[in-house]
Amino acid sequence: MKIEVCEVNKSFKQQQVLNQISLTIEGGRIFCLLGASGSGKTTLLRIMMGAIPADGGSVTVGGIAVPNRQLLAEMGYMPQNEALYEELSAWENLKFFAGLQRQSRKTFAADAEALLQIVDMAACKNKLIRDCSGGMKKRISLAVALIHKPKLLVLDEPTVGVDPVLRRKIWLYLRQLRNEGTTIVVTTHVMDEVTQCDDAALLRNGHIIARDTVKNLIAQTPDGNIEELFFIDNQSEAEAPLC
Amino acid sequence: MLSIVKRILGQMKNDKRSLGLLLFAPLLVLTLLFFILSDSSYVPKLAVNDMSEKFVAELENHATVSEETEKPEAADYLEANGIDALIWNDSEGTHIELLEKNSKSAAALEAIQDTNKALQPTKNELIIDYVYESSGDNQLDSLSFVFLGVISFFFVFILSGMSFVRERFGQTLERMLMTPIRRIDVIGGYTLGYGLLAAVQSVVIILYAVYVLQLQVEGSVALCTLVMILMAFSAVSVGALVSIFANNELQLVQFIPVIIIPQIFFSGLIPIDTIPFGLGNLCYLTPIYYGCTALEMIMIQGKGVVEIWPWLAGSVAFIGVLFLANVTALKKYRRL
Ligand SMILES: Nc1ncnc2c1ncn2[C@@H]1O[C@H](COP(=O)(O)OP(=O)(O)O)[C@@H](O)[C@H]1O
Ligand SMILES: [Mg+2]
Repeated sequence: MKIEVCEVNKSFKQQQVLNQISLTIEGGRIFCLLGASGSGKTTLLRIMMGAIPADGGSVTVGGIAVPNRQLLAEMGYMPQNEALYEELSAWENLKFFAGLQRQSRKTFAADAEALLQIVDMAACKNKLIRDCSGGMKKRISLAVALIHKPKLLVLDEPTVGVDPVLRRKIWLYLRQLRNEGTTIVVTTHVMDEVTQCDDAALLRNGHIIARDTVKNLIAQTPDGNIEELFFIDNQSEAEAPLC
Repeated sequence: MLSIVKRILGQMKNDKRSLGLLLFAPLLVLTLLFFILSDSSYVPKLAVNDMSEKFVAELENHATVSEETEKPEAADYLEANGIDALIWNDSEGTHIELLEKNSKSAAALEAIQDTNKALQPTKNELIIDYVYESSGDNQLDSLSFVFLGVISFFFVFILSGMSFVRERFGQTLERMLMTPIRRIDVIGGYTLGYGLLAAVQSVVIILYAVYVLQLQVEGSVALCTLVMILMAFSAVSVGALVSIFANNELQLVQFIPVIIIPQIFFSGLIPIDTIPFGLGNLCYLTPIYYGCTALEMIMIQGKGVVEIWPWLAGSVAFIGVLFLANVTALKKYRRL
């Protein structure tokens, strides 16, 4: 599903968070939104899904303007904080969101089991969320976003607090989904995750300061070090007062 | 919608403390209230002047009696000696002079009535006077319907309001609204889920009040339960609506004095028609008014569905209006 963001503005009270953002995300690819904490990644994601209205500009997903209920059925959203029901078990949380997505009850058990296997939570599926660690919640939250096999996956910092082994396993699964045609949008501020993605954009001071395939972006850096991407970021900040 | 109902019941099942608070805290409060209001062991102190020997002898079975040979000035005498009632005879009948309406004077009157009952044939008129006339004609123990209504409303309001605030705070609301669910289903599921819990609470409270505390109910207990359940549903809706204006749990608690206390004024504690400046008409805006008035008519006056249907209809209409208000208010979080 192709996402087109066109001249989007957003301010909270006096603070302008997004300034004339225009961005096209191709379908069937993994797109990474990079930016420091507080740069407006979450805000942009929420506008793209139609969770909050933009002050100006438009967003279409697959050619349909957001917000749209049919679109929501094809979208899987993993918020930055866990957003799970503390008094329910992992299994019950999955069941609830599958119910909201009108998933068939027959296939639910098998689907949920498979997903919990991928995020390595099958062993403690009946544990209440309030007894889970941060990393466990993160993994359950990811499984919840995937339960209805969405065509568009929106993941806000999905692998924060997840150990490297499991992180690799999750990325492997996401790439497999991408190969099956799922469009995936992730945000991150962890550099080495960018290499897992196809395209990336850098968000800074409310502007997209760079947007290209990950390969090209890395080629732009002097020594091929991905961390240099952050310095592209800093240069433009230094240039900012000049123009 | 059913998913939400199931989820709410599941959450409650795993949160034993909330469940306990919902079901047993009202019983505890009610029991305490019961003992505070019914000082049944109190022996009234009466003074008699020029009454028959037989009457005095019988009266002594029910009260502490002192005989006065001169008829004293009631107002000063009652206050000075801590006597609850002064009784004397004249051509008009038997006079009873009391200080004011309270549980002590109620006990005094009961003692006198019991005496008269025991002495049956003497059929003379009782002329009751109060030194301090007060406008209310309710006796305290007949206000039980107010407490039944208010207590259950309060607990349900807190429960549904809190859970809605927490859902917003933890962003599960946003996540829920990022699925194709309709707003009407969110509110419907919420109302039904917590309404069911509240209904169970209502049944527990009423059964406890009637069968354990032996509260007097003139009319049908089933009808009382129905009224309580309707009131519980409106409490769920009020809680959800108020939580939309609260940003956190603390603010919700701060809403309690604004939302709950004025409702208590209109619950029957104060007779509506004595409230000045037409402020009594505000009662139509408070869900507790409909519930408590209906409860009063059933419990005290023994009325049936035929007489109380306007108040039942009022309750139902209130729930409907709140439901629509909630569905509209949810627009703040999703425009669809
Ligand atoms: N609901 C809100 N009200 C006020 N300010 C907000 C709100 N949401 C985000 N912001 C502000 O917008 C900026 C960007 O936030 P966010 O999009 O969460 O950044 P990121 O996800 O990149 O860390 C922050 O400075 C934050 O304070
Ligand atoms: Mg964020």
